[in-house]
Amino acid sequence: MSVPPAVRRLVLPEGTEFATGEAMTLAFAYFTVGLSVAVLHVTDGTSPLVMLGSIFIVNAVTPTLAYAAVTASGGSMIAGVFSGWLVSTRFGLFAAAIAPRLWPSRRTRAAAAHVMFDPNVAMSHREETDENARRVFVASSFWLVVPWWVGGSIGVLIADQLGDPKVLGLDALFPATLLAIVWPQLRQRDSLVMALLAGVVALALVGPAPGGVPVLVAATASLLALSGTR
Amino acid sequence: MLTWGVVFALAVGVYGQRALGAVAVDTNRVGARWRRVLDALPITIIAAVVALQTFSASGELTVDARVAGVGAAAICAWRRLPMMVTVLVAAAVTAGLRAWS
Repeated sequence: MSVPPAVRRLVLPEGTEFATGEAMTLAFAYFTVGLSVAVLHVTDGTSPLVMLGSIFIVNAVTPTLAYAAVTASGGSMIAGVFSGWLVSTRFGLFAAAIAPRLWPSRRTRAAAAHVMFDPNVAMSHREETDENARRVFVASSFWLVVPWWVGGSIGVLIADQLGDPKVLGLDALFPATLLAIVWPQLRQRDSLVMALLAGVVALALVGPAPGGVPVLVAATASLLALSGTR
Repeated sequence: MLTWGVVFALAVGVYGQRALGAVAVDTNRVGARWRRVLDALPITIIAAVVALQTFSASGELTVDARVAGVGAAAICAWRRLPMMVTVLVAAAVTAGLRAWS
């Protein structure tokens, strides 16, 4: 099977940190994440059509999970939606962080906003130049979003046959993928300190604060960069 | 259980926040110091998400097989093994521990 060179350059940008192995990992991880999230919601009673809509329209993993967690533990629908919004505040912060490095046009950035997930923003951000950040954003978004949509759709179809995704350890995929992506950056002392602080703060707030708040508060560890010398 | 109403409400909140972040920043008017803070955001947010996804479930601190899985992933990343290996080891260790216990 031959791939046109123009397409190849678009999805595997040469001269960047984004390698073929990472593309495959991203695709595999988000395919399985899509699969497990769809199975989880459908076996929880969500109609297959609604789940399919959610995969494309909400286009995020954690908000629907937060909603399900809140309502399953007796919370109202409004509390569930609010919790879903709260866990997605991080996407707003991500978007603000990566926006200056992407396109100058606000309209283009608004369109790109729909596909801003955790890994593709982090991967684009590793690039030294804004030009490469933009190229990696396009490529990594492709390798993330398409498998997520396909995996989610398949999950909706086979939810009845597939058992508990936890048996396959699939719930460890998401944190492991994110960890592998940011690991190279943790070799920098400033980043390591901020990351550790953020992790500890987030865990300290689990329980007392509603879902989403721990991440939001932990993100303030970024303010340490104000005093950095880099 | 998700309904169409819930899906639309979530979608509005999620896309609204993404779009707001993406267009609100005037790329030319961010000073160097605040640019550094924006640059640090992905790493702190991801660190927080990793910590929560590893040590908590449904809003409570939890230690289960995932901790071992993500720990094994950290070792793989430290040894500079390919990302695919890292991710598969995480799932395998987590699944193995669950099957064994």
